[in-house]
Amino acid sequence: MVRALDTKLLRDLWRLRGQALAIGLVIGAAMATFVMALGVHHSLTQTRDAYYDRYQYGDIFVSMTRAPRSIVQRIEAVDGVAIAEGRIEQFATLEFADRIEPVRALINSVGADGESKLNRLVLAEGRGPVIDKANEVVIDKAFADANDLDLGARIDAVVYGSRTRLEVVGIGLAPDYIWSIAPGELIPDASRYGIFWMGEKALEAASGRTGAINALSLKLERGASEDEVVRHVDAIVAQYGGTGAVGREDHMSNAFLTSELDQLEAMTTIIPPIFLLVSTFLVYVVLGRTIRTEREEIGLMKAFGYGNWAIGWHYLKFAIAVALIGILMGSALGWWMGLSMTEQYAEYYRFPFLYYQVAPNVFATGAALAFGSAGIGAIGGVRAAAALTPAVAMSAPPPPIYRAGLVEKFGQWADISAVGNMIIRHIARWPGRSAVTVSGVALSLALLFATIQFIDGSRAMLDNYFFRAQRQDISVAFIEPQNEKVLFELASMPGVLRVEPARAVPVVMRNGALSERVGIEAAEIDDRLSARVDANGFEVPLPASGLMLSRPLAEKLDLAPGDRAEVELLGGRQTKTTLTVASIIDELIGTRAYARSEALSRLTRDGTPVGSANLLIDPLYRDQLITELSDMPLVLGITERDAAMQLFEEIIEENIMAMMGFYIAFAAAIAVGVVYNSARILFSERAHELATMRVLGYHRSEVGIVLLGELALLVVVAVPVGCLTGYFLAQLMVAMFSSDLFRLPFAPDRSSYGFAALVVLAAASATALIVARRVARLDMVRVLKARD
Amino acid sequence: MPEAVKTEPGNGREVAFVGRSLRKTYVTGETEVHALRGVDLDIMAGEILVLLGPSGSGKSTLLNIVGGLDRPTSGELWYRDTELTALDEADLTRFRRSSIGFIFQFYNLIPSLTAEENVRLVTDIAENPMSAKEALELVGLGDRRHHFPAQLSGGEQQRVAVARAVAKRPGVLLCDEPTGALDSATGVRVLETLAEANRELGTTLILITHNAGIAAMADRVFNFLDGQIASIETNENRISASEMTW
Ligand SMILES: Nc1ncnc2c1ncn2[C@@H]1O[C@H](COP(=O)(O)OP(=O)(O)OP(=O)(O)O)[C@@H](O)[C@H]1O
Ligand SMILES: [Mg+2]
Repeated sequence: MVRALDTKLLRDLWRLRGQALAIGLVIGAAMATFVMALGVHHSLTQTRDAYYDRYQYGDIFVSMTRAPRSIVQRIEAVDGVAIAEGRIEQFATLEFADRIEPVRALINSVGADGESKLNRLVLAEGRGPVIDKANEVVIDKAFADANDLDLGARIDAVVYGSRTRLEVVGIGLAPDYIWSIAPGELIPDASRYGIFWMGEKALEAASGRTGAINALSLKLERGASEDEVVRHVDAIVAQYGGTGAVGREDHMSNAFLTSELDQLEAMTTIIPPIFLLVSTFLVYVVLGRTIRTEREEIGLMKAFGYGNWAIGWHYLKFAIAVALIGILMGSALGWWMGLSMTEQYAEYYRFPFLYYQVAPNVFATGAALAFGSAGIGAIGGVRAAAALTPAVAMSAPPPPIYRAGLVEKFGQWADISAVGNMIIRHIARWPGRSAVTVSGVALSLALLFATIQFIDGSRAMLDNYFFRAQRQDISVAFIEPQNEKVLFELASMPGVLRVEPARAVPVVMRNGALSERVGIEAAEIDDRLSARVDANGFEVPLPASGLMLSRPLAEKLDLAPGDRAEVELLGGRQTKTTLTVASIIDELIGTRAYARSEALSRLTRDGTPVGSANLLIDPLYRDQLITELSDMPLVLGITERDAAMQLFEEIIEENIMAMMGFYIAFAAAIAVGVVYNSARILFSERAHELATMRVLGYHRSEVGIVLLGELALLVVVAVPVGCLTGYFLAQLMVAMFSSDLFRLPFAPDRSSYGFAALVVLAAASATALIVARRVARLDMVRVLKARD
Repeated sequence: MPEAVKTEPGNGREVAFVGRSLRKTYVTGETEVHALRGVDLDIMAGEILVLLGPSGSGKSTLLNIVGGLDRPTSGELWYRDTELTALDEADLTRFRRSSIGFIFQFYNLIPSLTAEENVRLVTDIAENPMSAKEALELVGLGDRRHHFPAQLSGGEQQRVAVARAVAKRPGVLLCDEPTGALDSATGVRVLETLAEANRELGTTLILITHNAGIAAMADRVFNFLDGQIASIETNENRISASEMTW
């Protein structure tokens, strides 16, 4: 008995193979995105955890101006601290003969042969530096790759004012530099910023810090309270100019990696559900149609003694089989996409090894979701099949009853052609299915729009940040805050048109029990080279007095304009003061605070020293200026706006454009799945009518219009619905993808709506045309012999 | 055009169809079915022709070929000056559109269109049609023209199908068992309408039936047997449709 039904199932699947495949495609897309995102998430998490664990990534990090090495013992004695280790971190300027643009390195001290207790160096090639050999360094792999540096390469550098020639003895990486960025930069650039490691004794000598350190990291004992330890550590290092200890979640390298992982997770909660929803609809519609056409067979089977269960289960199995097709295709595709995406991540996040594995439970969960959504889609049809009594089932199906309803009256009133009426009334006769087609196509458009508008968002951010907020050509960062004299010095250099000082003062800002570390950026009202620009691109003026906070910071500290914030200076003196919050700005990047230099001088009590300077220059003097600036010992770094901008553009191009193909393919999968199924159902329902029209003397193309016209009408309605849905979906995705570090604005270009609509229209039209070709195969003779 | 074989007196009428050696063979797997085995025929313009014969003898096959729905496996078929067997798909469609009205056992109306709109489906594309309303009045359904098929009886639906077929003033009306699903009285009504179209418009009427009684209204009767025309009868005095009963 079961055999016969299973044979029927296979026959059904074969007969409906196109439709089954089309639904499978949509389920496959759900599965693929799910497996990919969770697979990558899982792999990166595993890789990260293993890396942290094996190479002793610290739990807490703190930097200070200068402290005696003996402080390490004091820190280690703090309750809850298992291991503490001090080191020197020293910036250096590198000189490459053929390059003008500044290249910098951050040199970290390591023990003998590159050994250390925490944040241990992983050597990819070569060996660790000899502890007291002044010219030996290990350089990070990304920098080595970007600059084509091999073992034995020599690099001319200026370290702490003196020129040396470094020799690359090893190439490696470390868990505290999975991600790194030069201070003052917005985008990491491995070709211009390297992480180096040098023997401790050598670096002590080179940086004038014999017996001293300027950075500490430590490992907690199991169960120790991070907050407690941070408080103790801060108290100890305060007198040495400590800038506040941070845990892993605020340590830059880890923070960026974490925000990336969070985005992957956000992706799994938005995109696969959309595909699954569409597939549920499709299964519902296709199975519903199948069961309607198989009423007689169902009646017959019941008359033969098949139970409701057996018949319901038979149709459910159809849904399961369809889901299985999708699961298999999607798993393979998702696995492969995850692998290539993980490899892509490995370009931006440096790991010594990469575990790519998708946990079985990711496949299992994805499969369960796919089976579930196909099953839900099947339930309506299966219940209808089970509910049919043999007698009802075997009587002819109730013909679709058309009577003079509103739509019909409209057709007569508006004097629409007979063909036009066939189209409109059929849509109205099956409102549920028409709605599925419209919403399916709309969702495909919405999804595509919501993904591609991130490109617009990135461009808007670029424009916002580089064109509106930053108007300097070059910014120069100094090794330590400089006296205002330096501004005159810069201004007198040839080609410098304008100089404006800038400075960020590291503080802890408090409101009651809430506190946050932040650098308050000093500015002047009449600054012309920098401005504060909100998410919409509007310049927000600096308040005459008091603080301006970025919204995320204000929210974290629960501060509103008029409130007073307690501000404590970090590093050096621990002066405290209270400042009034004057205004709040909606910014795209980070948690930030601004004030006029004057307002800060009360805190710093050092006049208005200069941390960095913004320069407007004559482009003719650019090369000469860069060379001269690089030679100044007090200059830590030079950032060129145009170069940064270009780099940003490249990253957008590379990353997002690489994903573009996937986005388009997935959105098209939905459109194809939906349109193919509606077209096939439409065709099978109307085959008799279409053949009759052929008999009456309608040409193939004219008959095709009945089919295509209905689909076209639905798709045309779907376009505005999709744009509107996309508008909201995109905002949801923007919100979910934004992190503390930065968020992209929702600033879609109108052409993105157009592009999404075009892709979906193309996919829909191509699919509909393929089905419409069946009109040519209509058998007029046979159709006349049968009674529908 | 091959010389018409004037086997029977044509009342001096023109010839509408000439067929020579028409064969139709269906090949399904191993088996071959010879639906038509070399049929020669001349059909006069304006005549009423009834095709009689046992089931499976090839009547529908011939009718479909004559109506341009199907092609013979071999042989040639002319409609007036046109060789139908040489036409391509599009020209065959044009031929149906301009010259042929079909009526089938199962009315083949479009359920989503009203009676009038079903007729308009044809008048929308015909060259010199009557109005849909006129055609429906011709079959006595002028007052039901806004009704949907589901709201009409079987006989009424078949009359809508007749109205649809005659509305374009076709040269030829092809009817495959038009009364097969109707009771006697309703069947007579339908036949009356068809005869009227033949009388008023000079339409050639070719009718398949299993009902020998209906043959009485024909000018000629082709008796089919086993894919061939076994005999041709000529009615010297045919009776009008209204006089028939069965
Ligand atoms: N598509 C087809 N494939 C195979 N054989 C066919 C096909 N169509 C018709 N035949 C065969 O051709 C022969 C003639 O069929 P046709 O339909 O012309 O008979 P008919 O005289 O109209 O019969 P009836 O009075 O039952 O309608 C039959 O034996 C039939 O089985
Ligand atoms: Mg027949």
